[in-house]
Amino acid sequence: MNELWRKYLGRRAPRYTSYPSALHFDEQVSAEDYAARLGEVGLYDPLSLYVHIPFCRSLCWYCGCNMRVENDYGRALRYVDALRREIGLVGKALSGAGRPLSVHFGGGTPNFLNIPDIGRILETVESELGLTDSTRLAIELDPRLIRDGDIESLAALGFKRMSLGVQDFDPAVQAAINRVQSFNLVESAVGDMRRCGLTDISFDLLYGLPEQTVSSFTDTLATTIALSPDRVAVFGYAHLPAALPRQRLIDEVTLPCGDLRADLSLLADEMLIAAGYRRIGFDHYAKPDNALARAAISGRLRRNFQGFTDDLAETTIGLGVSAIGYVGEMYAQNAKTLADYYDCVANGRLATKRGIILSPRERVIAATIRDLLCRSGADMRPLLAALAPGEANRVCSSLDRLEQDGVIHWSGDIVKLAQDAYLLARVAAMALDPYEAAIGREQNHALTQAI
Amino acid sequence: MSTRIQEKTRDCLAADRPATCDVCAVRGTSICADLGPREFAHVEKTMARRHVAKNKALMVEGESNESLYIIVEGCFRLSKMLEDGRRQVTGFLFKGDFAGVRSTASSAYTAEALEDSLVCFFPHRFLDEIAVDAPGVKDRLIARGQTEYHKAQDHIVLLGKKTAEERVISFIDMIDRQIGVDAEDGERHVPLPMPRQDIADYLGLRLETLSRTLTALRDAGRLSDVTRHSVTVPAGSV
Repeated sequence: MNELWRKYLGRRAPRYTSYPSALHFDEQVSAEDYAARLGEVGLYDPLSLYVHIPFCRSLCWYCGCNMRVENDYGRALRYVDALRREIGLVGKALSGAGRPLSVHFGGGTPNFLNIPDIGRILETVESELGLTDSTRLAIELDPRLIRDGDIESLAALGFKRMSLGVQDFDPAVQAAINRVQSFNLVESAVGDMRRCGLTDISFDLLYGLPEQTVSSFTDTLATTIALSPDRVAVFGYAHLPAALPRQRLIDEVTLPCGDLRADLSLLADEMLIAAGYRRIGFDHYAKPDNALARAAISGRLRRNFQGFTDDLAETTIGLGVSAIGYVGEMYAQNAKTLADYYDCVANGRLATKRGIILSPRERVIAATIRDLLCRSGADMRPLLAALAPGEANRVCSSLDRLEQDGVIHWSGDIVKLAQDAYLLARVAAMALDPYEAAIGREQNHALTQAI
Repeated sequence: MSTRIQEKTRDCLAADRPATCDVCAVRGTSICADLGPREFAHVEKTMARRHVAKNKALMVEGESNESLYIIVEGCFRLSKMLEDGRRQVTGFLFKGDFAGVRSTASSAYTAEALEDSLVCFFPHRFLDEIAVDAPGVKDRLIARGQTEYHKAQDHIVLLGKKTAEERVISFIDMIDRQIGVDAEDGERHVPLPMPRQDIADYLGLRLETLSRTLTALRDAGRLSDVTRHSVTVPAGSV
C-alpha cells in the first residue's frame, strides 16, 4: 500500500449505503408523507422490497444490526402477522401500482422463521403487491439455523440468491465473537444449495475481528475459495462500543490494530482476485459470470442498504421493524422498536417514524457519491454548481489534498479514484459530502473506520 | 424474438386491400359504424387489411409508428420492457380493439400477435388529410372500440384487486366481455388465446399460483371447465 495512504487508515467515514445517511433522518417524515409518495408510484415502476426479520437465536457480539435474541417462536409469529398487515397497508397505498423486481429478506436472521412462515409472507406480497416468476428472491441465512430440507424448501419457494453469514472460519475468532459454527455446517449448506441448482450463493466475511491474524484469515479465505461461492462480501468490522453496548463484550486488546486491519483487507483482495473473482466496488467480489459482476462492467452497479447491488429499482420499500424505504426522493424508516411497530400496524397505520426528503442539491450530492463509489469516477460539474461557493471551495481543497496523496486524479471535469485506492473510496466520497464536517464532530462514535 | 411486419405507405394501397368494407366482420358493431358515407368512402380508400402471423409484431416499443390499427380478427399481446430488461405484459387486444392511436416516433409498447390475426391499417397521414374535410373522423373511428389507453386502465383496476382469486375472476370476466361466446345451457365459453405465463405476468402472479387458483375455482364450481386455451363459466355466475 502507498505509504501516503497510511494516515487515512484510522479515519472514520460513513458507509454511504444511502445519502444522506440514516444518521440525518429526523421526525419530519410521517406515515402520511410516505403513503402520499407511495400513491405517486407509476403503474410499471420497478420496486425493490426489503423485508427485515429482527430475530436471532443467539447474540453475536460484533453485530451492528437492529436485532433481538428470541427464544419464543410465538413472538416471531406475531411479527409475521404484523408484517403481513404492513404489506397490506403498503398495497393499499400503492393500489396496484409498481411491479416488484426483487424481494430481499434480511435481518437479524431471516431463517429464524420456519420456511412455511416465509412462504406466507411471500403469499401476502403476491396478493398485495404482485409477484411474478421473474421477481428475484434473495435471503440471508445463518448456517447454524438451517435444518434438513430448509434449502430445498426455500428453493421451491423461488429463492435464487442465498447469502450465508460466514464471518470467519477460525474457531478462536468465532469464540471471540460468540458465533461458533463449524466448517461442516457451511459446507453442507453450500452443498444443499448447489444440489438445488443455485448459481448465486454469497458469503459474508468480516475482517478486523478479535483474534484475527494474517495466518488465520489466510485460512478463512482459502476455505472460502475452496467452497467457491459466487460472491463474497468482505466487510470491515465496525467496533463502536459507545453506540452498541453488545460490542463491549469483545475484549478490545484482541482487536487487530489499524495496520493489521488494512493488511487483512488487502490479503482478502489479493487472494480473491487471484482465485478469479472480480472486485465490485470496494468490498464485494463476484465471479465474472455473476450478475453483480456483469452489472459492474456495464455501469449498472448501484448501492443500497445491503451494499453493492445489481438491483435497478430506484424505489425501495422497507418492510418490518426499522426497515428503510426510498420512494420519490424520500427516505422513510419504520419504527425501531417492536412495540412501536406493532402499535402502528395494529391501528392500520404505516410504521414510518423517521426519514428525510432529499433537496435537489442533496440529490446531486447523492448521485455524485454513488458514481464515485460504483463507477470509480464522477463528474464534478453538477456537484460544484449545486453547492454554495464556500462549500464548493472546501470540496475542491479536500480533493486537492487527496490528489496530492495520489488517492484521486482529475480527468477533465471527472474525478477518478486511483487504481488501487478502492479501500479509500469512502474517504474520497467524504470529500464530496458537505455534511461530513458536521457528522465528524457530533457523531464520530457512530461512524465506522474507513478501512 | 418476433420480427416486425413491414408496413410501407404504398402497401396501404396494395392489392390485398379488400374490394369493399361491406363484408367486414366487425364494421357494424364497433368499427367504422359511426362514419358518414362520405367519410367512409375516404377511409375505405386509404386503409389496408393485412394478415399478421402469430408471433409477428404490429408495433415495437421504441420504434416509430405511423398507423392506426383495428383488430379485425385475432388477438395481440401488449407489453413493455421495464427498466431492468424484464418484459411486462400490459394488456391484450381483441377483435374491435385499436392500437397506434397516436402517430409517434417512439411507441410506448410492443404489440405482438398471439395467433394468426387480421388487422386494418389506417395511416395517420391519410386520416389527417381526411380530417380537413371531415373533422373529428379519427375520434369517431375509435369511439366504439378500446384503445391501448383503456387497456392500461383495466390493468390498474386488476392489479389493485387484493386476492389471486379476485384477480383471476376479474380477468376472465374482462376477456368474456370481449371475446366470450354463449355455450350450452346458458354457460359462457371464454377463449384464452394467450399463454398461461402471459396471464400470470399480467396479473402479477406466479405461474404456480395462477394454476392453483384456476384449479380451486373449478373445484369450487365457479368455473365449469378449465382447458389449456379456454375456460367455461357456469350460467349466471358472471
